[in-house]
Amino acid sequence: MQKILAITWLTWKAAVRFKLFLVIAALLVAAVVGLPLVIKDDGTAQGFTQIILTYTLSVATGLLGISTLWLSCGTLARDIEECQIQVVATKPVARWQIWLGKWLGIVSLNAVLLLIAGGCVYGLLQWRATRLPPAEQVKLRSSILVARGSAREASQDAKIEADTREVLTRRVKQNPEITRLSEADKAEVIRQISEQVKAVYQLVPPAYTRVWKIDLGFAKDSLRGKPLQLRIKFNNANDYQPTTYMGAWLVGDATSKNVWRSEPMSLASQTFHEFEIPPDLFNDQGILTISFYNPNRTALLFPLDDGLEVLYPEGSFALNFLRGLAVIFCWMALLAALGLAAASFLSFPVAAFFSMAMLALVFSSGTLAETVAEGTVGVGNEEKGIAGHSAFDVLVIPLFKGIVAVTDLTKTVSPIDSLSTGRMITWSQLWSAFSQVVLLLGGIFAIAGIALFYRRELATAQGTQ
Amino acid sequence: MNSRVKKILLLLLVVPLLFAASRIQDSLNRDRAALGLTIAEPLQNAPPMLAFTTVALGGFRGLISNFLWIRANDLQQDDKFFEAAQLASWITDLEPHFSQVWAYQGWNMAYNISVKFKDFSDRWRWVNNGIELLRDNALRYNPDDVLIYRELSWFFQHKMGQNLDDANLYYKEQWAIAMSGFFGLDGTNIVDLLEPGNTNAIVLREKYKLDPAFIKKVNDQYGPLDWRLPESHAIYWAMMGLAKADEHPDKIKKDDPMMLRREVFQSMQEAFRHGRIISNPFNEGAELAPNLDIIPKVNDAYLQMMAESSAGDSNHVANAGYKNFLRDAVYFLWENNRLPEARKWFKYLGERYSDRPILENDPTSLPKNLTLDDYAFARVQQDVGETSQERITAVIQGMILLGYLDLVIGQNNRAAGYQMKAQLIYDRYQQKWAKDMERLQLPPMDKLKREVLNDMLDPKNDRIPFAGRAVLRTQLGLPAETTNSVAPFAMSTNMAPPTASNTNGVKQTH
Repeated sequence: MQKILAITWLTWKAAVRFKLFLVIAALLVAAVVGLPLVIKDDGTAQGFTQIILTYTLSVATGLLGISTLWLSCGTLARDIEECQIQVVATKPVARWQIWLGKWLGIVSLNAVLLLIAGGCVYGLLQWRATRLPPAEQVKLRSSILVARGSAREASQDAKIEADTREVLTRRVKQNPEITRLSEADKAEVIRQISEQVKAVYQLVPPAYTRVWKIDLGFAKDSLRGKPLQLRIKFNNANDYQPTTYMGAWLVGDATSKNVWRSEPMSLASQTFHEFEIPPDLFNDQGILTISFYNPNRTALLFPLDDGLEVLYPEGSFALNFLRGLAVIFCWMALLAALGLAAASFLSFPVAAFFSMAMLALVFSSGTLAETVAEGTVGVGNEEKGIAGHSAFDVLVIPLFKGIVAVTDLTKTVSPIDSLSTGRMITWSQLWSAFSQVVLLLGGIFAIAGIALFYRRELATAQGTQ
Repeated sequence: MNSRVKKILLLLLVVPLLFAASRIQDSLNRDRAALGLTIAEPLQNAPPMLAFTTVALGGFRGLISNFLWIRANDLQQDDKFFEAAQLASWITDLEPHFSQVWAYQGWNMAYNISVKFKDFSDRWRWVNNGIELLRDNALRYNPDDVLIYRELSWFFQHKMGQNLDDANLYYKEQWAIAMSGFFGLDGTNIVDLLEPGNTNAIVLREKYKLDPAFIKKVNDQYGPLDWRLPESHAIYWAMMGLAKADEHPDKIKKDDPMMLRREVFQSMQEAFRHGRIISNPFNEGAELAPNLDIIPKVNDAYLQMMAESSAGDSNHVANAGYKNFLRDAVYFLWENNRLPEARKWFKYLGERYSDRPILENDPTSLPKNLTLDDYAFARVQQDVGETSQERITAVIQGMILLGYLDLVIGQNNRAAGYQMKAQLIYDRYQQKWAKDMERLQLPPMDKLKREVLNDMLDPKNDRIPFAGRAVLRTQLGLPAETTNSVAPFAMSTNMAPPTASNTNGVKQTH
């Protein structure tokens, strides 16, 4: 361990000697302090906090990401090119120790820089929050500067499946021809029946009321006396653009006095709306009953997955913020491993280019996922209903599938998104990020990098100076 | 010549060359714009950073702009709007001369993003953001682009003026509050703004980009307008666009002037229907009423529109709308007890459409078959749509009540109109349905009025505050309020005579 720490210390010394640490730290602080001065917000304290959080953390992540890749490629590749590695490698230190020492050096450097940037962002947010009027502060601390958990209706999947089977059985009795359909057609029939059954659970017809029963579980005891928030969304089949509809909410037991009735609300379709409800409307078992009355002339559809969610305060913003920084730190650790692995067998410019290309691949994983979903890289004609096709599909689609599967491992949680919307980053999400990003993916790069580094003939490199 | 002298001479030569280049640059830019050699004209009025960025990025601006469009679109689909203003600002900064980009971003804020919020104050913020983007930024870089003026006019006329958005009254209220400081409590004070050095005029010009001299021009041409209302501003921006189109006929599309004139015309229609604010100091509320003073101007706008539209759909629409406008003008004037004007326009309606029915669903209602009272009663009946004794009694008492409430807030003309309407319904009902059947007869009119008045004046009922009851008593010549006081049985409950001075600042022009 001492040998690894010695290499780590050397990496730190190099970073300080090249003024890299100072420059990056200064850039991070300047970005965090300067961004609020130039950013145009939406005019609310809430919006301002969200955009500051998003932009400052994004800039910090971007700056650190690029510098990490640059440093990790440079520290090993240039040591080899400039023959300094020959001095180190001839010492009684194993190559895996050199590799790990450099990785640890870069990672610890990142940890310190991230803490500096995070501390500045956190301090800035808290400082600005204290300058707001008390009412705005309360609003901000209940929706953004907080870690909110969420509760939804129990899954209806089992019921939907059972109902689908029942309807299918009835249809088969009425029309035995269905059994003679091809497997693909049968699957389509089942899918359509399932969608029809699902619609019954999602639709609120005109002049009807839909009731949700949300189990707050163990959280109920800690939620006494605290206001909760409802996050709702509905769709209307006729809308291409968001249109407003009236709606009225009733939360709590309608037969008791412990009930809250909303004023009629003008709500847009296809949009998430959040509003606060008074505390203590759930019953002793922690069940919160929510009813929505649809006074419109058209049916409204609340999707089962995100149609209605109860948000409640679950933890402090400070700890959530730290967990968010920890997830970003995991990404940096992976980038350091990627850069070092590339530098283990490539020259500095090629290693840097290779690492950037890999990063670009991760950023374009959305496009790759779409291609995988379409099943082809060929271009079809949607108007004529002609599917695309390409001779390369046989090779490319499995390759894309593999890339998407790997990149998905890095997307267990989006810390900036969660922090800017006041959503809880759980310990289990953090553990997933650590295990998948650092241990699994980082581990693969480390093993590959160390193996390549072992096989590299260090003495063949000619000094450039 | 040694090298040092040569260098000094060369440096000295740089100065006149740079000066000459700067002189030629202006002429080159003019030629470039005139010949349409480039769409990337040098930015005017831009901050140095933006001017530098647009030049330095060159062709990459488009790529960055595309990336920002994609991000803005993705975030909007996820209902995350806190970045929208910043992204719109960057996108438009990257394409400052692309007026469609400005128009889309402004429209997106005012229409798409605003309705996604349930609180009206949030919606208003985004409508205002859209207006500010066009007015404060787009016009700064594109001062002659008529599309921007047309969009601005549309926001005022359609988004704020019409009632398609549930929050439209909130928008009007917020705009009226902002504008009251400049145009006075009746929204018509323009004279003060024209005085040199007037601070309000400076703020109006700097903050709202409104030129008092041009406001006067618009008001003279189409007013008197209430400048607290969005329609007046819709007309202003459309007129400004027309002025720019006249200045730069080479930079506009063929349809641009017609579209702008249509904006003016539609806004005039809206201003006629609800272009007057009536404030109620007793409940701190306000309501919108027709602006009857601009009827001749609206009439002129229709005639001009029909004359300019050579043929086709727009002509047909204007023709159909014109008849409706004349019908409403007569009825609104009659309702507001402006009978001489009502007669004048009724006569004009009859002359203009002598061979066409002027009542809906009644093919026999040719102008020659109807008097003004017949026409007004038919319109009242269409509004009321009731023949049952109980319902008619309720309708008449409702109108009496509205008349008294108008007296409380000083709207005497309209109060007299309600009185007249109630009397007309009463007389026609008695004549048509109850003449020969005693059981169908209505109670005496005085009794109906007294019931309503007693209910209003009774302090226990608290229908209107003490100050309001005092005003009503004064208007009706009743004694001051005492404990349990109600209207004396024998006291006349007729409305006070209408006056021109107490119509909430709307000047009588006829």
